[in-house]
Amino acid sequence: MMIIQVQDLVKRYGDFVAVDHLSFEVDRGEIFGLLGPNGAGKTTTIRVIMDILQPDAGSVTVLGQPPGRAKAQVGYLPEERGLYRKLKVMDNLVYLAELKGMSRPAARERATGLLERIQLEDWASRKVKDLSQGMQQRLQLIASLVHDPEVLFLDEPFQGLDPINVERVKGFVAGLHQEGKTIVLSSHQMNLVEALCDRILLINRGQAVLYGPLAEIKREHAPNAIRVRVSHVPTDLPGVVEVEPDDGAFNLALAEGASPQEVLRALVDRDMQVQSFEVSPVPLEDIFVAVVSGEEEEDDGLA
Amino acid sequence: MDWRKVWVVARHEYLTNVRRAGFIIMTAIVPVLGIVVLLFGAFFAGQARQLGAFFEKQFDVGDKAIGVVDESGYFSHILPAYQADFVPYGSEGEAEAALETEEVSKVLIIGEDYLETGRVVVMSMGSGFGSAVVSDSATVRAFFVDHLLVGQVDPALQERAADPMDVESRVISSGGETQGEGPWGFVFTFVVPYFLAIFLVMSIFVSSGYLLQSVSEEKESRVVEIVVSSVRPVELMTGKVAGLGALGLTQVLVWVISVMAFSGGAVALLAVAGAVSIPARVLILGVVYYLLGYVLYAILMAGVGALGSTAQESQQLAGIFSFFAAVPYMLSSFLFTNPNMLIARILSFFPLTAPTMMMLRLPLAEVPWVDVAGSIVVLLLSIPAALWVGAKLFRVGLLIYGKRPTLREIWWILRGDGERG
Repeated sequence: MMIIQVQDLVKRYGDFVAVDHLSFEVDRGEIFGLLGPNGAGKTTTIRVIMDILQPDAGSVTVLGQPPGRAKAQVGYLPEERGLYRKLKVMDNLVYLAELKGMSRPAARERATGLLERIQLEDWASRKVKDLSQGMQQRLQLIASLVHDPEVLFLDEPFQGLDPINVERVKGFVAGLHQEGKTIVLSSHQMNLVEALCDRILLINRGQAVLYGPLAEIKREHAPNAIRVRVSHVPTDLPGVVEVEPDDGAFNLALAEGASPQEVLRALVDRDMQVQSFEVSPVPLEDIFVAVVSGEEEEDDGLA
Repeated sequence: MDWRKVWVVARHEYLTNVRRAGFIIMTAIVPVLGIVVLLFGAFFAGQARQLGAFFEKQFDVGDKAIGVVDESGYFSHILPAYQADFVPYGSEGEAEAALETEEVSKVLIIGEDYLETGRVVVMSMGSGFGSAVVSDSATVRAFFVDHLLVGQVDPALQERAADPMDVESRVISSGGETQGEGPWGFVFTFVVPYFLAIFLVMSIFVSSGYLLQSVSEEKESRVVEIVVSSVRPVELMTGKVAGLGALGLTQVLVWVISVMAFSGGAVALLAVAGAVSIPARVLILGVVYYLLGYVLYAILMAGVGALGSTAQESQQLAGIFSFFAAVPYMLSSFLFTNPNMLIARILSFFPLTAPTMMMLRLPLAEVPWVDVAGSIVVLLLSIPAALWVGAKLFRVGLLIYGKRPTLREIWWILRGDGERG
């Protein structure tokens, strides 16, 4: 079921078009990746969904309502983040929950539970400024969901974290997913997006460039290449245009339209001992770089 | 507008700021001052005259003797009452030597033609300030009068001529009631309300200063982005203005109650008759100007606070308002002599100075009703305009990080070209 719907969204700052006719949907219970280079329009898009900015055109609904009506059901960890440093940890959490419409006692109870979950229960009555950097980052994360939202926007949640805290946050996000929360994750760290997200939207210059299930996108963007471990590579394999030895194996580049299946069949027909055979995997990062730089080249060509 | 959220913000602002050391000290200063004055007054109640003499002496010619070189003949024999303070010298040279050895602090050279011209040369070491003090000194004046009139007139007349007035202030208001009777009356009728007005004005700036700080701290710590994803900027601003306004009123209430208690205490302890303290008109209008002034400044401070990227930067931007607020203060010595002077009246109709100016004028005189009505109307009209500007700057400024917007950008924001990401 669809939980967020963005249709034909346009947001301009003066003459600059930050978001240009963007459409996408987020389904209930999924982890949705919102990707793009710096200045692509991710934060602007999130701010419109959070009702911080008003769109110039297009429509946004959150849980079937305009963004302003759904605030209590949405949590937000902004990229530019912070807490009240001079206020106690518990007071921070209770105040932020109250601003989302939660009652004081309920907020206190929920905050206590969350603090236990991130092992900060002993720090509840300390001031935020007394906490270490890592503790503050964990606290910041629970501050975004202290009001128990259905949807959570995490804008660069791994930014500035050490590897241990990255793992902790990753585990925390996975836990929330299991609880049935819908999570929209914006990050530069593609390996983390790959590990966590079901579907992604890649924005560049305010427009959607890639959108859909991650597995499908990766399949579509797989390079026409095979990595095979055999004693040697015959010269007359069908569709193979280039052979490159690599660490005891061979990387074979295929002609356009050539099928890896055909190559495997040819090897088997020749009775060769195939120790391993794989269609080369493609990291999301490569797709990201290829698509974004491809767009830029296109522009340069036109210019 | 979600009033529940406004309430949450207001309560949060009130409770966080009411615990600030600065707020507690500033609130406590009036009652503490009152208690000190009261104790001081009670202690010296029986010695009021000596106390007066003591203060008079501080502003008089000092405790060193004054040399006299007389060529007129009227001052050759110094009367017994003045012999301790005035020393005769035969010549200018002798007197100058005494001045150099600091036997005397000043020397009066009274010429032959004194009776016709009144010319007296005052010699002093260092600065010429001494001669100014001499001409204003009650002691020196009495010295001249006594010596000129001795043996010429009735001693009682001579004494009266040397000290012609013992002033007791009695001011009749337009309503016909008498204000400021008795030695403490002036204090209760003018000084206390005047200082209360000054404190009220300070309270406006302290409360709106907290608002500025609260906004710029939220922005500097970046918590504001979470906050505005939960409440609308107009709700946030309203909550802050209300919460910190309540904080300011708490302060004012403590002050007014302690001034009342102080004057009540004075009546009981010092047996002061008619300690009228503050006329109701001054008190009511004072609170009206307090509220209007606070709301106007608070809204502007909220807008300005949102513009700076750090608390320090916001404070610099807010400096322009502090300047306007300070203008009536700069005029306060003139205000004392003429609270209804033209410049004061003009500034009472200018929104940024009106609250301060009116609050300072009210306790000092009957302010024309045109000024009262006019300034209130000006303020009532300015507040929506400030709200329009302030809310716009606030909403847009909150999300501009890392740099202070240029004047051009501020203009652009006000023209409503939209928010910036």
